[in-house]
Amino acid sequence: MQNPKRRPLVLASTAVLTTATLALVGACSSAGGTGGGGSTGSATTFTWWDPYPQHDASSDWEARVQQCGEDAGVTIQRTAYDTTALTNQALLSAQEGTSPDVILLDNPAVSTLADTGMLSTTEELGLDTSDVDENLLAAGVVDGAEYGIPIGANTLALYYNAEILDDAGVDPASITDWASLTAALASVTDAGHKGITFAGIGTEEGSFQFLPWFWGAGADLTQLDSPEAVEALELWTGWLDAGYAPNSVIQNSQNTTWEEFLTGDFAFVENGTWQVNSAAEAGFETGVIQLPAKDGGVAPAPTGGEFIVAPVQSDEGRYETTREIVECMTTPEGFVETANTFAYYVPPTAAGQEQLLAEKPELETWVEAVRSAKGRTSDNLGTDYPKISEALWTAVQNALSGAATPQEALATAQADAASATS
Amino acid sequence: MTSTRPWWKTGLGVVFTALMLFPVYWMVNVSLTRTGDLRSDPPHWFPWEPTFEGYEAVFAQQFPALGTSLLVGLGCVVLTVLIAAPAGYAIALLNLRGRRTLNFLLLVAQMIPAVVMAMGFYAIYVRLGLLNTVGGLIVADSTIAVPFGVLLYTAFMSGIPRELLQAARVDGAGTWRTFVSIVLPVSRNSTVTVALFAFLWAWSDFIFASTLNRNGSLIPITLGIYNYIGNNTTQWNAIMATAVVASVPAAVLLVLAQRYVAAGVTAGAVKD
Amino acid sequence: MTSLPTAVGTHESTSGAAGTTPAAPGGPRRRRGPSTSQWAAVGFAAPLLVYLVLFYAYPLWRNVDLSLHDYTIRAFVQGNAEFVGLDNFADVFASSTFPTAAWNTAVFTVVSIVFQFAIGLGLAVFFRSSFRLSGVLRALFLVPWLLPLIVSSSTWAWMLNSDNGIVNSVLGAFGVEQINWLTSPDTALLAVTIANIWLGIPFNLVILYSGLQNIPGDVYEAASLDGAGAWRQFRSITLPLLRPVSAITILLGLIYTLKVVDVIWIMTTGGPGDASTTFAVWSYREAFGTGQPDFSPAAAVGNILILVALVFGFLHLQLQRRQEAS
Repeated sequence: MQNPKRRPLVLASTAVLTTATLALVGACSSAGGTGGGGSTGSATTFTWWDPYPQHDASSDWEARVQQCGEDAGVTIQRTAYDTTALTNQALLSAQEGTSPDVILLDNPAVSTLADTGMLSTTEELGLDTSDVDENLLAAGVVDGAEYGIPIGANTLALYYNAEILDDAGVDPASITDWASLTAALASVTDAGHKGITFAGIGTEEGSFQFLPWFWGAGADLTQLDSPEAVEALELWTGWLDAGYAPNSVIQNSQNTTWEEFLTGDFAFVENGTWQVNSAAEAGFETGVIQLPAKDGGVAPAPTGGEFIVAPVQSDEGRYETTREIVECMTTPEGFVETANTFAYYVPPTAAGQEQLLAEKPELETWVEAVRSAKGRTSDNLGTDYPKISEALWTAVQNALSGAATPQEALATAQADAASATS
Repeated sequence: MTSTRPWWKTGLGVVFTALMLFPVYWMVNVSLTRTGDLRSDPPHWFPWEPTFEGYEAVFAQQFPALGTSLLVGLGCVVLTVLIAAPAGYAIALLNLRGRRTLNFLLLVAQMIPAVVMAMGFYAIYVRLGLLNTVGGLIVADSTIAVPFGVLLYTAFMSGIPRELLQAARVDGAGTWRTFVSIVLPVSRNSTVTVALFAFLWAWSDFIFASTLNRNGSLIPITLGIYNYIGNNTTQWNAIMATAVVASVPAAVLLVLAQRYVAAGVTAGAVKD
Repeated sequence: MTSLPTAVGTHESTSGAAGTTPAAPGGPRRRRGPSTSQWAAVGFAAPLLVYLVLFYAYPLWRNVDLSLHDYTIRAFVQGNAEFVGLDNFADVFASSTFPTAAWNTAVFTVVSIVFQFAIGLGLAVFFRSSFRLSGVLRALFLVPWLLPLIVSSSTWAWMLNSDNGIVNSVLGAFGVEQINWLTSPDTALLAVTIANIWLGIPFNLVILYSGLQNIPGDVYEAASLDGAGAWRQFRSITLPLLRPVSAITILLGLIYTLKVVDVIWIMTTGGPGDASTTFAVWSYREAFGTGQPDFSPAAAVGNILILVALVFGFLHLQLQRRQEAS
């Protein structure tokens, strides 16, 4: 039957597969030995977690991390997680007592981890944070204690498609407040193009993108249903109803928004520092303006970017080396290098910023934006912020999808946030 | 089983398959699309201006991950069969007491959400020192397939004619001998089916890999994809290219194995 | 063309069951003393038993523990959570999300299973008699399974995008207005259900197809000789004979569908608002979807899910018992 004929074929294919597997795995372990380090001998190993899986074992970032380790006299074992998994992994490991020595953590999560008592303060580590800009450091301050140092900050601004604006006769410099922005959108759509795109997705990204408008109207996160907040949300729903923004914003992540912008159909996109290179390479001319506040001026935008934090270790002797590693990453030169690696994280110190501007004067707009930016967990919101944020993005989703009016949506959000944070 | 049907059946079959696989075609389409065209409205049916940067990235970076996934998949297959086959034998043919409870427990085992399993495993592995090892991941992934495997084997083995077993016993074979020389060979199709399910489930697992096996040198392909998912930016054509490249060997395996899967998954479950 | 032992097995067991004494539970005639064969049985089942205890019991216990205490993340890390009994469950039931999630779970599960099963069965019947390329085509149907869920879910999200998705593009060509599949509260659940059905068809196809293979062809030949048409044959032969296989397929399908998180999460994150939130998604969102992990409510919802699945498991047990009695 089948057996006599099939057998050799199946056996052969199994043999080929097995050999292929072993070959591939063998090839990798011999070539990719850098990450694991494998340096036996006297150097101890320090563990480092960060949310940059796109920078793998052969990247410049890895090399830099290893260098800091070598300078401190140890080998660093680096593991990269995607940013959504990092907080939970950190919690799991803290529970088991296997925390890493250094974590690079998205800034809103710092207060969450700090609250569990698993992070050491900068004071305990002996770090000097006097140079770091206040507005950037504030995200990691809980009850007066500082729990980490930002390695750089990025924030949001309004990119525009210069060709479309020319075609519609809109001067970007004239966009200084909400009224002029909406008028510009009207002109652009009249000229046959699409207006603006942004991210209203039901995750932290959605809140992140809504906050400049929220704060720009003068609203405060402790009062989600204030008239100012309603105005901000009505701005977005107004755009959607008028056709200035596409329906997909309800589902868009920031990355998707950028992809939409790159098609060349949209006049404006709200996006961040990290797209500067991509903007330069786009198939059309682009420019950047600050996000306008409701009545003029620059809207405070939320800060993105990671903090470098040091979890508590049972062996306190390790702190000395940890401090050296952190210091290695936070020199002005170190900040500038980080800025270049991560598509323009703006250094959090004045010295670092000047050095960056010396190298890249075109980043002036972004440095300005970061200086006016605000940490999401500042104002001592700390661990309350995630709950408020969740209520906020739910309200945005409900309003944009038409399930509730902005007023109703925000009223519900305030009720939810209040009960969750009480 | 009758005569070869006319071409219309083949034609209809092709249409159905094409409909079913349309999303897969779309995946290939996206993998060849330039980032600037990804969101064009109206969407491109065909990548008119293709880019191969996704595939270039995959070929440069992902082969070790592919190898690891293969290794984990095959290891999972071996482990699953090793545990499930004897258990199926015990339940179906050896009249294990409490087998109804055991069957029910196996169902319950499959009800536990994956996230719960992964978090529990983390705690266990930390204590056993199995974190970040391929072996640990193999064991974790097998939990997806083992209960189902036992179910399958039980269903099939209970249909094995008793005469075969009694003949063996008359010949003086003990339980073990009967298992190895009679039951296993006869259950070959079930073994292939269980192997197939175990492999596919292990191949596409993400949650266990993410929680238990993040570190460095040997990560499976589902994690390798995250190379292309940055903090705020995502390289979609590379992600889709990874999926395409990862699917090819498994698809080949599928075509080879389907012959065996066809027959014998549930023999004996149909009684009249 | 199928492997003979299978066909033999089916036939033989038909006559065999009548002839020999199967090892029925409580059967009066046993060849060997219970102890020896029982030890052998336990020996063979031992790896499974150890495996079950080690790897399933512990996570399950941990989940129950999480749901009975108040695990703030501080307590999670430091291990000193307060025991709150059933408070978490009470909070879950009282929450505004509960009715929506319950409804969505019911709709999502029932619709998914009905369509997955129906389409899987239809395809299985279609493929039953082999034709040119049938083997290859059937294997190709399993390809969706190969894809990591992030890829297949993302692909569906692309295709169903309101503005630049291919589905709307095609519908638009037929004059249908733009449907906001993923962003409208009216259609979000439908969209994720469609994607889930697509993902579930291969499983149903494989199992049902092999179930069909075990129905001997002569039964069908006899029926068509008697003048029964295709539909009649399907209703009177296929369906009844396939009942045990169908039962287990549906039960497993139910258990797996209840657990589905990735598809919904990647496509809509349970949104907009709560429009496509099921229990599984709710549990995931509580634990991992926000900046402040809420493990205890998440575990409570997870346990509710397991309880629901248990109920269906019991139902299946009853069904089986009744079937064996008849």
